[in-house]
Amino acid sequence: MALQELHYTFRATEPQPFPLGWSHSGVVGSGDMEVMFERCMLDGEIRFKVVTPVRGFERVWEQVLGRFVNETNLADVSVEINDNNATPVVVLMRLRQALKEARKEAEG
Amino acid sequence: MTDWQALQQKSFYEATARERANGIVDAASFTELAGPRDRMSSPHLPALGEAIEFDDGVVTGVGRVGKHPVFVISQEGRFIGGAVGEVHGAKMVGIFQLAQQAYAQLAAKGADSLAERLPAVVISFETGGVRLHEANAGLLAHAEVMDQIQNARGKFPVIALIGSKIGCFGGMGFVAAATDLIIMSELGRLGLTGPEVIEQEMGREEFNASDKALVYRTTGGKHKYIMRDCNQLVEDSIGAFRTALASALQQPYAEIARCRRIGSEALVDEQLALAELSCEIQPQDARDVWAYFGNADAAAIPEQTTADFLRTVRRRP
Amino acid sequence: MTVEMMIGRGREAIDMIVDPGSFQENRIGESEFSPELGPGAVVGEAKLAGRDIVVIANDAEAINERFPVVYFGVIGMEEAYKMAKTVYTVMRQDAEKAAGEKRPLLLIVDTPGNAPGKIEEIFGMNKATGAYQLALAEARRCGHAVVAMVIGRAISGAFLCHGLQADHILSLSPEFGTMIHVMPLTSISRITKLDIERLEQLAENNPVFAAGPDFFYRLGGVDEMVTELEDMPSAINRHIQEIEAAKAAGVADCTGPMYHGKLGEQRGGRMHRRPVIERMTAEFAAVAEQYL
Repeated sequence: MALQELHYTFRATEPQPFPLGWSHSGVVGSGDMEVMFERCMLDGEIRFKVVTPVRGFERVWEQVLGRFVNETNLADVSVEINDNNATPVVVLMRLRQALKEARKEAEG
Repeated sequence: MTDWQALQQKSFYEATARERANGIVDAASFTELAGPRDRMSSPHLPALGEAIEFDDGVVTGVGRVGKHPVFVISQEGRFIGGAVGEVHGAKMVGIFQLAQQAYAQLAAKGADSLAERLPAVVISFETGGVRLHEANAGLLAHAEVMDQIQNARGKFPVIALIGSKIGCFGGMGFVAAATDLIIMSELGRLGLTGPEVIEQEMGREEFNASDKALVYRTTGGKHKYIMRDCNQLVEDSIGAFRTALASALQQPYAEIARCRRIGSEALVDEQLALAELSCEIQPQDARDVWAYFGNADAAAIPEQTTADFLRTVRRRP
Repeated sequence: MTVEMMIGRGREAIDMIVDPGSFQENRIGESEFSPELGPGAVVGEAKLAGRDIVVIANDAEAINERFPVVYFGVIGMEEAYKMAKTVYTVMRQDAEKAAGEKRPLLLIVDTPGNAPGKIEEIFGMNKATGAYQLALAEARRCGHAVVAMVIGRAISGAFLCHGLQADHILSLSPEFGTMIHVMPLTSISRITKLDIERLEQLAENNPVFAAGPDFFYRLGGVDEMVTELEDMPSAINRHIQEIEAAKAAGVADCTGPMYHGKLGEQRGGRMHRRPVIERMTAEFAAVAEQYL
């Protein structure tokens, strides 16, 4: 079965900008993923594109990504994920890590 | 991105392709070309339901080592075993072409400036060779890379770094063999046929692919160093690889070219004599060859630290 | 019209192609090879349309007694070094000749693989196949015309070793049972977990993974398909002339692997190679000053 593309859009309650123009992290190993953040004008929205070989987890992705938006309030950023069977725990961890690295780099 | 100093301490074996690419050149000198933001992922994997990566499993770019522009190819074994497909292969070829261009530009400035700033191609291998999902395109890309290595001869060095988890096998095994200089750690593995295929071909009694120690004895860095199939053996850190690379690039080109194992009639004669020697020794195990070359306590070699090994080892004459 | 399988018939193919009785095995000018050396590789000089050429072929019936995994056309260490040595010998003997007078090299391809043995790995089979490829690339770049003629099996690394470094690559058409692939579709099916029917359907529009000369033709890995056995000599001769004319014109990469990359794009099979290289070139141009 072909790869599937999922799209999600969220709106943060207290919009925060992504700290860098763009950032990339992660490797698409088995059970892992990479993520790219790119700052862009989205009228206060955050957009996700997920490319994954796994089917039938649209709701789970929505919950995990929604949780990330709730805890970070990121807005005006486009997020692209290439997934290879990462569990929800790994997804959330990778997103948090990526943001942490981006903040560190923005300060440095 | 990542702290360059911290990268120097990091295990080369554990490091990602991007960490290796950044860490083996001078601090903050690496510029990635066709990086993730270009989204040059494989156009073939989606239809086959296989996950994609923005860089198609290889980090390519340019950095500096001293005054030398160094064109880097760094393969990512976590992504489909670092296997070479159409885009991955094209990125490798692209690096060679850029090095050729840089060579031509520097050569136009005169011989002194060229020697001082001679470009190099450095490949951090982590791959099993052709990516089966796009096997035909991957195979054809291998032929292009071999041609590019030949095309670099007499101009600028091509250097192999091998010390990552997947090792360097399949078609990339002979790409590595064709480079000028090979730097490995003892955790690096280099060969043509992977252990499973040998077991399948010869039977489990002859070669047990799940015997990790056997696999290392046959293809690992220490063995390749004894055979002179690798030129330098270094500790497992990005810094150790970088130091070896930097000191190699301080040598004149002719010195680096002397490290080759194939690529001339004289070298083919030497290798053919070695193939004949294999009939004479009829080794059951790489240890028999180590003993033949004068390593009395061959059984102890796998347990030695890299430093102890380098102090005591007897290499093929 | 003769359609007969040529798999396993490397020696017969030599006789079908070269001028009758002209093949002298193990002889290259003044040099001679021992008949015991690498029996899976057949090398020697011959004439094609009256002109001296050098032939490198596989012998599927030979068994290399000293290397148990070398049989049925497998390229072992001795075979690969013998092939490489043949190429270097021709280059050395023809070093003073002008480009158009250097002897062409004809590779007759029918090999299932590189030797997959323990001794081969201990002694470095990767060097053997690499050595032959570097020799061919050098011969091609220094003016020899190198033509590969696939008559049977051209499988994976063995095809890279013996075939893909040629200036031009010809293949007998699929009716002859010619096999060019890395892995058969059954193996691809196992790895991708897609059934064969689905893969065959996908292969109609995308030649990158399926087995067969047609797919390699579309990818630029085969220049021309030869549909009659009788046509092999004239087709090979014509390609030798084309190659020599192209080299005489002095255009870079007008033959060989890089040219096959361009051909793959012209035939719609490899559309992503050039854009990748162009992007890298443009990105480097923007930063080149920092490095050069």
